[in-house]
Amino acid sequence: MASSHRISRRDFVKAVTATLSGVMGIAMGIPIISYLIDPALNVQSSEAWIPLGPLDGYPIGTPTAFSFTRSNINGWEKTVNSYGGFILRKSESESDILALSNRCTHLSCSVNWNEEREEYVCPCHDAQFDIEGEVNAGPPPHALDHFETKVEEGTLSVKFPAVLAHEG
Amino acid sequence: MNDEMKKKINDKYEASIQNAERFWPDSIYKDLLVAFGLFILLIGLATFLGVHPEPKVDPTDATYVPRPEWYFLFLFEFLKYFPGQLEWVGAAVIPGILVGLLIFLPLYDKNPLRHNSKRKVALGIMSAIVSAIVILTLMASTIMTNMIAFILFLLLAGVLFFSLYKNPEKEIAWKKPALWVASFAFLALTGVTYQQTLAMAEPTEEVHVASSVPEKMSLGQDLYSIECVECHGPDGEGGEITVTAADGTEEKLPVKSISSNDEMYTRSDESFYEIISYGQPSLGMPPFGGAHGGELSPSELEYIVTFMRYTWDDRADVPEGAVTSAVPVLAEGEVPSYEVHVEPVVKRQCLSCHREGKENNNYLMEDYAGILNNGDNAPNVVAGDMDSILLQTIQGHEVEGVNGTIHVMPPNGKPIKDAYIDIFIRWVEAGMPETAEDASALAE
Amino acid sequence: MMKNIYAWLDERLGFDDMYKMLLDRPEPHGNWWNTLGSASLFLFIMQGVTGIFLTVYYAPTPDHAYDSIQYIMNDVAFGWLIRGMHHWGASLMVFVVFIHMLRTFFSASYKYPRELTWMVGSVLFLLTLGMGFTGYLLPFNQRAYWATVVATNIGGVVPGIGPFILRALRGGTDVSALTLSRFFSAHIWMLPAALAGLIGLHLYLIMRHGESAYPDQDD
Repeated sequence: MASSHRISRRDFVKAVTATLSGVMGIAMGIPIISYLIDPALNVQSSEAWIPLGPLDGYPIGTPTAFSFTRSNINGWEKTVNSYGGFILRKSESESDILALSNRCTHLSCSVNWNEEREEYVCPCHDAQFDIEGEVNAGPPPHALDHFETKVEEGTLSVKFPAVLAHEG
Repeated sequence: MNDEMKKKINDKYEASIQNAERFWPDSIYKDLLVAFGLFILLIGLATFLGVHPEPKVDPTDATYVPRPEWYFLFLFEFLKYFPGQLEWVGAAVIPGILVGLLIFLPLYDKNPLRHNSKRKVALGIMSAIVSAIVILTLMASTIMTNMIAFILFLLLAGVLFFSLYKNPEKEIAWKKPALWVASFAFLALTGVTYQQTLAMAEPTEEVHVASSVPEKMSLGQDLYSIECVECHGPDGEGGEITVTAADGTEEKLPVKSISSNDEMYTRSDESFYEIISYGQPSLGMPPFGGAHGGELSPSELEYIVTFMRYTWDDRADVPEGAVTSAVPVLAEGEVPSYEVHVEPVVKRQCLSCHREGKENNNYLMEDYAGILNNGDNAPNVVAGDMDSILLQTIQGHEVEGVNGTIHVMPPNGKPIKDAYIDIFIRWVEAGMPETAEDASALAE
Repeated sequence: MMKNIYAWLDERLGFDDMYKMLLDRPEPHGNWWNTLGSASLFLFIMQGVTGIFLTVYYAPTPDHAYDSIQYIMNDVAFGWLIRGMHHWGASLMVFVVFIHMLRTFFSASYKYPRELTWMVGSVLFLLTLGMGFTGYLLPFNQRAYWATVVATNIGGVVPGIGPFILRALRGGTDVSALTLSRFFSAHIWMLPAALAGLIGLHLYLIMRHGESAYPDQDD
């Protein structure tokens, strides 16, 4: 029976058991892994121009806060995120506008414009940015992000999302 | 059971496992083959039959006939035979007793003998119960349970025939005839369920369940066209409606735009949903939701809201594959067809009034033949005839019909777009092809 | 290296004993009908695996249950497969467990010394039906909702305590968010825990008494 050329019944059964278990493991494993990581592969890019109303509503020389919301579909739910920033008109010119994001570049707290100190101040870790968004003091790694702007028929729009200060 | 009997049983068992099989590898091998078979079966069922889509829950829809899972059907059917006052007997007492009998079977079945020829009463009772369960299940069956039963019976008959064919061990004499009988019984049941399945295979009303945003949008578009266009216009621009008060006086009320940014930015999906569902009685809008006496289900309300949001809200990111304008643009020299061009326009512009239950001289525009020949003034449109009633009225000319003047269409004073009129004219000129193939044949 | 790890583990776990105890058990001659018990166990494990992964996306509230299942079916990669296998696995498991029970009955395997194995097994069958019953509501679609309304009403017909049973099943007077979350809890925690524990006992009893032999003329 147990000649060296023929595999024994026990070995055959072992091989079949291992193969079938392996096939089932793979047949379940691959779908399950892609099932689990699926939402991570789903990147939504949504560039958009956000209208912020008439340009005349923004005074020259002082930062004026603005805010807007964007919605994302996450799974079966719409998630609405709120974004905000400051518009600074440096002169009458339609191209001389600076739109800063209010997200602190340190850990994303919202910065506020402090009228007396003429600085943006972050309430979390006391970071300070000057009127152009450059870092004055505190832990942030770089200047505040800014939005691209355009003016059409007197209406100011910013381009979402905000970009790094020195890239745009 | 006395100790002597116990000893006899134990000794016999000891003898039976001498030089017989080992759990590993003999049993595990077989177990694994069966498990693998079940695994393939499961994947096959999930892939080829899938899960039947069901509409969203609607607690107000009392007309829905619920059905339990197939393995509770026998109980469901069983309860039919108990009149109201005795229902608790069928629902609680009898199943309770059966469950008790099942669990405690070894405690009252004191017969120590195991061979089937020596326990005819037990076998008889169990067979009767199982047959009753199978028969009750089949009596309550629907097409779906029939299909499942068909598969199961076929499988069982197959297994039984297989075990007859492959019979390595020396079988005891009674077993073979019993197996043959059982095999053919299951084969017969397979036949019966197959027949029943065929008999039941008449088209039933399918509820369409949308699976993606684009699908919801297109279903919402269709519903909007039927339910809303009459007052709100094809693009939600609004207009004017005439409301008849209780004392018979007629009053004209303005309908404001529902597609403006003001509207879209300040109302959430939930408030749109509630407005459509409840209506706005003081503004002349009737309720549409089933919960308030309308004819729409929660899913349908949701489809309309989805359509409105993604079509009119300029902040919404329209998902890929979505069709925002349902009417395809007609290219230069292209011949329009009913199914590609005319039907979408009719849906958007006409169907909200030209359907059952509205005032329209019986001119129902629900399908191709209907558009040509329905109603009191048929034929409404004739191939090549530029004076056809349909063409005249949408171009702003009144026509004399059998019941008096046929007014300009649409009657709300907002003429339909020139591009749509162009579709109709070119369609009639070309001979009113129904399908895209007919149209391309005519174009050549 | 591998040898050292193996030796270290063997010293503590005792692979040899485990092999003798679990795998190298003598058994009487069986046939293919004897595989149904392990097939039931296999289906239980499959239901466990697919069920666990379904909870990754499923949300047991009336507002989200339906939409989350639509999401699983239409948007998540292979969601249709996992849900489909869970759906069909439920039917198949009820069927296989039932046939396994019939096999045990017709081969009279429930008699001495395996009475307790049968009793535990029939409770396992009822728990399997309970899984089917509680799982039916979870998609929270028309069919699920109305079937549960009717099924819980059946509990309500018992004279005297009926209305109480009804409220206890539903967690209130209506099929509501409370019903959904208690059915969910029963479906993924209580019943599976009871099933797993009793399956363990069932298997222990089988190992203790050995697999039964088919009766012959003398039994």
